[in-house]
Order: sequence, then structure tokens, then C-alpha cells
Amino acid sequence: MTKEKTEKPVLTDEQKRIRRKAIFNRYKAWLYLLPAIVILLIFTVWPIINTIRISMLRNYDSMQELGGATFEFGFGNFAAVARYDKFLTCLGNTMLLTVITVPISTMLALLIAVGLNSIKVFRKAFQTIFFLPYVTNSIAIGMVFMTMFQMIGRVESPVSLGIINTIIEAFGGTRVNWVNVGSNYWANIAVLSIYIIWNALPFKILVLLGGLQGVNKQYYDAAKVDGASRIRTFWRITVPLLSPMIAYVVITGFIGGFKEYSSIVGIFGESMGPVGNKGSLNTMVGFIYDNIQQNQGRASAAALILFAIIFVVTMINLYVSKKKVHY
Amino acid sequence: MKVVLEHLTKIFPSRNKKDKNAEVVAVNDFNLEIPDGKLIGLLGPSGCGKSTTLFMISGLQEPSAGKIYFGEDDVTELSPENRGIGLVFQNYALYPHMSVQQNILFPLQNLKGENRLSKEEMLARAEQVAKLVQIDEYMDRKPAELSGGQQQRVAIARALVKMPRVLLLDEPLSNLDARLRLQTREEIRRIQKDTGITTIFVTHDQEEAMSISDYIVVMKLGVIMQTGKPQWVYDDPANLFVAKFLGTPPINVFTGRVEGGSLYIGDEKVLDVGDVEDQEVYVGIRPEGFILDAKGGLSCKVSGIDVMGRDISVVTTNENALSPVVRAIISSDEMKNVSGEVARFKLKEHKVFIFNKESERRVHFGAQIAAHEKLVAEMQAEGQAYTTHEGALPREADDKEKRDAPVAEEKKGWLAKLKDLLPKKKAKGAEGPAEEQPAEDKQEDAGESREQSAPENPKSEE
Amino acid sequence: MEQTNIPETVPSETAPEPVSPPVKAMKEKDIKSVSVKQRVTKIFVQFVLYAFLTILAVSILFPFYWMLISSLKTLTEYNEMIPTLWPKQFCWDNYVTAFTGELDLGRLFLNTVIVGVVSTLLSLVVTIISAYAFARLEFKGKNLMFGALLATMMIPGELFTITNYITVSAFGWLNTFTVLIVPFLVSVFYIYLLRQNFMQIPNELYLAAKVDGTSDFKYLWRVMVPLSAPTLISITILKMMGAWNSYIWPRLVANDAAHKLVTVGLRGTAFMDLATNMVNYPAQMAAVVIVTIPLLLVFIFFRKYIMRGVSRSGIKG
Repeated sequence: MTKEKTEKPVLTDEQKRIRRKAIFNRYKAWLYLLPAIVILLIFTVWPIINTIRISMLRNYDSMQELGGATFEFGFGNFAAVARYDKFLTCLGNTMLLTVITVPISTMLALLIAVGLNSIKVFRKAFQTIFFLPYVTNSIAIGMVFMTMFQMIGRVESPVSLGIINTIIEAFGGTRVNWVNVGSNYWANIAVLSIYIIWNALPFKILVLLGGLQGVNKQYYDAAKVDGASRIRTFWRITVPLLSPMIAYVVITGFIGGFKEYSSIVGIFGESMGPVGNKGSLNTMVGFIYDNIQQNQGRASAAALILFAIIFVVTMINLYVSKKKVHY
Repeated sequence: MKVVLEHLTKIFPSRNKKDKNAEVVAVNDFNLEIPDGKLIGLLGPSGCGKSTTLFMISGLQEPSAGKIYFGEDDVTELSPENRGIGLVFQNYALYPHMSVQQNILFPLQNLKGENRLSKEEMLARAEQVAKLVQIDEYMDRKPAELSGGQQQRVAIARALVKMPRVLLLDEPLSNLDARLRLQTREEIRRIQKDTGITTIFVTHDQEEAMSISDYIVVMKLGVIMQTGKPQWVYDDPANLFVAKFLGTPPINVFTGRVEGGSLYIGDEKVLDVGDVEDQEVYVGIRPEGFILDAKGGLSCKVSGIDVMGRDISVVTTNENALSPVVRAIISSDEMKNVSGEVARFKLKEHKVFIFNKESERRVHFGAQIAAHEKLVAEMQAEGQAYTTHEGALPREADDKEKRDAPVAEEKKGWLAKLKDLLPKKKAKGAEGPAEEQPAEDKQEDAGESREQSAPENPKSEE
Repeated sequence: MEQTNIPETVPSETAPEPVSPPVKAMKEKDIKSVSVKQRVTKIFVQFVLYAFLTILAVSILFPFYWMLISSLKTLTEYNEMIPTLWPKQFCWDNYVTAFTGELDLGRLFLNTVIVGVVSTLLSLVVTIISAYAFARLEFKGKNLMFGALLATMMIPGELFTITNYITVSAFGWLNTFTVLIVPFLVSVFYIYLLRQNFMQIPNELYLAAKVDGTSDFKYLWRVMVPLSAPTLISITILKMMGAWNSYIWPRLVANDAAHKLVTVGLRGTAFMDLATNMVNYPAQMAAVVIVTIPLLLVFIFFRKYIMRGVSRSGIKG
């Protein structure tokens, strides 16, 4: 102590200033990062820990915990969720929608991207049109889709057919109860799939078209000289050369698919199903939100299961694409 | 297979539709007959339209006018796959995701109908070509695992596997290092001889063209300047451009005049030229055309001597020379005779070319006249028309691009300039093939990529 | 040795039977027919291509068209058995209803704009300084921390939501603007994007600025930020669009009239006549149009920036 006291006065003002600056510099980076760190700690790091924690607490309730209650530890939530019909419905719906929409939208986007890449006239116009669904509000446009498929009035004797059924009947088909009371599950899934694909196309087209434009045009010249037909060129040149982009699009597609929620809200509203069949089209994310207020333990377990599924699917995708993706 | 090009012309439309003047005439009324089974070098500086010519022969680019014949067949309208050509790209364009074998097999697998081979035949054939180009050890490798020279062989094998009628090579050696380049060009020569396929290759390297071609075609700004056997063209250049373009070290050019049957450089009378009209001329003297002689007519200030082994190169200056230095190559035995500040030279008559100053066209004199006639006769005997460029030689447009360039530079704001400092992002999208072309060929590619990438990649970053 | 072998063996081996038609000389008639075939195929392919793209483009556009015309129909016309493809008369009243009715679009807009602007501005500041620290400053554990940050991107947001809901409830933030702004202030992805951009700025500029005695902070704002303007614009637009489109979180934590955001309001039951259980669809569609138009306008003006940001993100909003 005394030693320090004797040393301190020796420092001149200039030296003090330099010393202060050095200390400041050492911690400057942390100062810059402070806001981000604080927010991330509270809203990202803590939730990860806490969600795992409460998923293992029985009948957890945050309000009661604040009041000092303690909860029994165990894996009951996971077991309960896995046995819970509603959850299984959600899981099934989510998987079904993902499995239907990801391959179709990827293939369609690939065809559109290749098409766009090989035309000259109106290309920019087409590109703009195909990107439009991206800049929309998926709830709002979901409501538009609903009005297109919906009949008004009683299903047996509707007041209005809705445009889609009108078109179907104009071509000689029979009307389908797409979204109204008593509508068939598969009809619902069809409507949702159409909407989800419509919504998913722009991003995929954008990525794939970007990839196509990055492909050295000489490969196509070489393929022409080598006498490859257009179809062969597509499968033997375009697809392999685009495989990194395709893998990217498929992986993000799967992740997005497992988190599907708002497109269903857009079409069916928060009842997550046609009138009279509430929750029949609910998804994993929907399940989590349904339980967030009343049963947080169960919601947490579901969230972790969702994470695990996404993780596993992504890993499988990565593994497959490592084998299939060229360079 | 004989290849005949008739009035072949390629005009790239201007990018800006309003500005008609911006269109580029890449190839202008190109007439050429290529005899069967020969190796032809299309030679010229950047932007001379040689690659465009090659791509038109391949069918990848459509001519704006003119006809292309393979033998007697008019193939102008045919697409590349129907022409029976093999094409080796400058960057080889090997499919990166396929093994060497798959690359070579690919053209065979595309055959349809009666031409389709059985699997065994395909494999056998691929093996054969791979052996021919000596790449058969690497059949399972991916292109990325091969050296530049090996990749090039694979590209040649892929081009040959269908037994093309015509083999086209676009700057085949430009991506190889100096040692490989020498080796590979011999290889190309050997393969061409072995297969007897009419081969056309494009290069900007005169030495490369001279060393392996049966015939060379010297081009400038889309126009043929001269064709013929390499030695002929070297010995008997038809105009100043050809004289300057061929030969290393390059020819020395002086301004001079012919007066009363004598050739003058400055005030010095350097040669008797006999029956040539009085006129202002350019005088081209090959470096090997100088003889050190105290009584010689041409005097030059000596500034140094480069020793090259057997020969020495005397570096001198002359105020009438167009270039800052004049190089004379003489035997090293003569080195001791180079002393003092001034060297005097006598000139070898057949190494001195004079060109009319206006037209830049060759003016033959003395014994050259007979020699020239003999060459032309020899050429005709070989069935190869002696071609030189008729009419005014193109030159003015030469500077146009140079004039345009700085303007574009100045338009950039300071922020854009700052951004130029930033490391360029990896070739992502838009630019395509043009990006990988070496700098020397920029001008030409500007024309080509204009068509290839401009309308199709409007994803401009403007 | 091998070299000398090849000339002998190879020509005889490679030359024998002609393989492909190109090798054989073609008759003039063949050439004609081939070139005609080529041309026909080319035209046919072009036709199919355009037909395919046009059909799909129409399917993409149709919902927008339907939304527009539905918003202009009278309720009676809307409820006709066979829907009309063009309104018999334009009923602009639907738009008036959308603003004046129970939905109170004006209020929703105001709320959304407040949340959007404030959260974008704050988020930009946080993103810039964080990206700067990661790109230019040296400190212990930098790489570890950056890696950890990137790792969080893998985790679905739903995992955070549960605890975040508990947290904001405990903070007493429910039904405030704070709850809509603060939890999503830090986007790891944007920090990553901007850091990459910052790293591309040559170090020489930084050193030159240091020599001139420019402070880090000044350098950041005077050089780095202007040079990264395109990325910052992308981030701004995507963030704004995010606020405009956000539904799940706002629905959960701010469902009162004073803080409700536009999407939440839209999906509510404002257009339902509770007595008859009939929905006033034209008015609802008018509201949808009003919500959609700003997005389309932003897209038209900032197409490039949106596409640039999107192609690298894979996330919506």
C-alpha cells in the first residue's frame, strides 16, 4: 500500500492520460459489444438454458416459480408430449407439408431459374414477378388465398362458389370443398401446399438463378459442342454444377418447413383448421405457442424436439449433399 | 476436311441501342481456304477477331454474313453438335464434377440413334484417345486434381473422342507456364499429325504460331493481313504490320525515303534499291539483317551490348528509328569490332523491307521481286492461295478504344474509386467466362462477351 | 519409346469406322433438313419456355389481382354465385370501411411504424458497433465469441420464445412497445453480414486514418459506414419489412389496441359481423391491399438491396 502511494505522485498528467487510454483501449472492444452482449445474454443465451431447464420440470409455471414454488425434476414433459395426440397431429402435419412442399418448390424453382436464365426478352419483368411473393405479408396474402378457395354460404348450397371452384367447374370438374366446414383433410393440405409453394418460390429462384449466373458459360458451350441435348445438359451439367445451391435451398427449405405456422394462420386463422375442426392443421410451432401460456414445460419439450428434428434433418442433408454435391 | 470461309463477317451490336457507332466489327469479310489435314494458326494481337472467327467456325457464334464450308458442305446454318467439330477452350471448360473418363465419354454418350455406341465401345474409344494424349493414367481423377498441362490434354481428348472433322483450339497454351507451353505445343503438333485432323488454333503468340503451324493467318482488326507458311510470311511480309508482328526480337523500323534508286535513312544512303519510284517509306530491318562494317551506310549510336551466347545483340539508337532502340544481332566473334560510340552497318538486302509510308504496303526491290514471285508460285503449287490484304489497311479504329477508356475512368466518383481499392469479390454470377481470360485478350473479349453475356445477364449491378 | 509407338498404332486405331454423322460427309439435302430441324426445335423450345414462364407468372400474379378486384367489389357482387373477374362498379367505400371500421388501420399503421423505425434505428447502431468490434478490434476470445454467436443462428427462434415470454412478463413489459423492440434488437445474421463487409475494406485505409490521428469511432462513421452503405440499406429494408410482417411475437405479447401491429390486427375478427357471422370480405381485402402496397412500393424502389440481402440470408424479414 505504502509503496503504491509513494509511486503515484511520480506520474505526470501526460502519463496518466496515456495510462487511462491504454486501459480504455484494452476494454474498448467490450464496450462496443456491450449492448449486443447484454441483449443476447437475456434474450438468447438465457432462453437456451432456461428452456432446457423447464422442459425437465413437471407442471412448471413461471408465475408460481416467481412465487417461490419448486417443481419436480424429470423427463415427464417429453414423455407426455410424445404420447399427446395433439402433438402427434402437429408433428404429422408439419412433416407432411414439408415433405410435399420442399421437393416440389425446389424443382419448380430450378425449372423457372433455368428458364429465366435462357431467355432474353422480358427476362427482367419475369424475374420481378417471380420475386413478388417474397415481399408480401404471408398472413395477408394467406387471407387472399383463402377467399379464392372458399365457398360462401352453406357448403351444400353455396351463395358463392369462389374463383377456384368456378374455374374447376368451367373445365368440367366438380367443385371441391377446399376450406369450408367439413372440408377434407387432404383438400386442406392441398390448399396449404399450394400457398406454401407460392410463398417459397421467390427465395429459391433467387438463389438458384444467382448460382446459374455464376456458372461459367463455357461449360454450356462445351456441352453444345459435345452434342448434349437440352435435357441432358440440364441433368448432367446444370444440376451437378448447381448442387451446392440446390443443397442450400433444400436445407433452408426443410428448416422453414418445420417452422411452418403463419401460412396456416393466414388461411385458416388461429383456429388452425377449418371451421368445426379446430387444430386439425396445427403445426409444431403452433403447438408451442398454444402451450406457451398454460403449460410451459410441455412447450419447452416440444421446442427442444423441434430443434432436435431440425438439427437431425440438417445433418442428414449436409451428409447427403457432401456425398452428392460436387466440389 | 477442307474448311472454306467465304466473306465471313461478324458484327456485335452496340450495347447501347441508340448509339449505332458503338457496334463492333469483329471480323470483316474474311476469306480463307484451309487445306485438308493441316494445322493452321490464326495469329494476331488482342481484338483482331481471331477467337470470334474460331467460334464462328465452331458454330457457337452465328456469322452476321458469309458462309462456312466443311469440304463441300455448307455448315453455316448448322449448330455445333451437327458440324462434327472438336473444340478446346482457352480455359479447357472441363466439367468440374466429372472424372477425366466421364469428361471424355460425355460427347460419346450424347450420340443418338444409329451412331450410338455400346458401352464397351465407348470405353474402348475413350481409352484410345486417352492413350493418344497420354492421360490414361488419370482416368479417375477430377479436373481439379490435374495440372494445367494434364487438363489441357483431357480437353483435347474430349474434343477428339468423336473423331471430329475439324479440331479447333482457342489459345490452347495461354494458361500454361513457359516450360509446359513448349512441351505441349509439340504434343499438339504430334497429335495433329497422328490423327490427320484439320486443326485450327488461335494464338496471340507469334512464336507459338510460327513453330507449329503449317500455315499461319495473320489478322488485325478482323481483317486478314497475310497468310502463308510461317517462314514465307516472315521472309516476305506483305505490309508493315505483319513485318512488325512477326519475329523476336522485333524488326527495327525507320523512316526513310527512296530517291533515285537509293534508299536513305536520314541523310545516310543505306542500300541501292534499283527500279523503285521515289517515295517516302518505312524501312524495316530484321535484327539479323545487319553486318558490322566500317564502311557501312547506316550509322547508329551504340548504347550497349547484350550477350546471348552464340550471338550478341548490339543495342543502338538512331534518331530515325520509330522505336527507342535499334537491335542488331551479329555473331559474337564480331564483338571486338564493336568499339567506340558509333557502329556502322551494311545491310543484308533480303532482310530489309521497305513499305510505302502512306499505304504501309510492301515495296519489293531488286532480287526481292524474283524471290517474291517464286514464293507465290510455290504457294499456288501447294494449292494455297497467297493472300494479303487488299485495299486500305485498317488502323484508325485502333486508337478508338484507347480513346474511350480514360473517359470511362474519369466518370467514376471518389467513392467508386475507393471501392476499386477493395478486394474484388469472388466471381459470383454475372461476369461468366470473360473473367478468366488473361489480360492480353481483354479487348477482343470485350467484343465477344458483349454478345454472350450482355443480353443474358442483365442482372447488372448498376 | 512410347512416343514413337503412337504414330504407328493410333491412326489405324482411331480412324477406322466412322462413328458419328458429323464425320460422314452430309448430303446437301441432309444439311438442309438438319438446319430446318434445328430452327424448328429452337422456336419450339422458346415457345415452350415462354409458355411455361407465362403460366407460372400468371399463377404468381393472380392472387394479387384477385385481392385488388375483390377489394373493389360491393359485398353483394362479391357474394355472387359465380365470381366476377372485374368489378361491375368500383366500390371505394371498402377502403373507407377499412380505415374507419373496427379495425382502425390508422392506429395499426402508426404502431407498426413506431416499432419499425425505432427498432430499425437501434438495431442498426447495435449491429454497426458490434460488427466493427469483430471486424477491426483485437481482443481476447474474439474468435470464440464470434463462433458462439454464429452457432446461435442454428437454433430455431421458437426455442427462445418460451423463456422470452416468461422474461418479458416478469419485466412487466407485456403490451408495451418495448417488448416489440428490445428482444429482437440484435440479429446475429446482420452482424455477420456487416462484419464480412467491413473486413473487405482494406486495412490500409484504417492505418492511414490512424496516422492522421483519426479516432476509431470517427473512422467507423466516416469511412466504414459510408463504404458499407449498400449492406446497411439492405439491413434497414429487411428489418422494416420484418416489423411490418411480424405476427407471432406481437400476437403473443402486445395484443391490446394501443400496441397492436398491423398484421395482428388484420388477422383478427374486425370484419366479422358478429350477429350474422358473415365476414365483409371486400373490406377485408381492401385492408389487405393497404397492407400489401407499401411492401410492393419498397420492393420497386429497393429491389436490388432486397434481393442482395435475401439471397444471402434465407430468412424472411
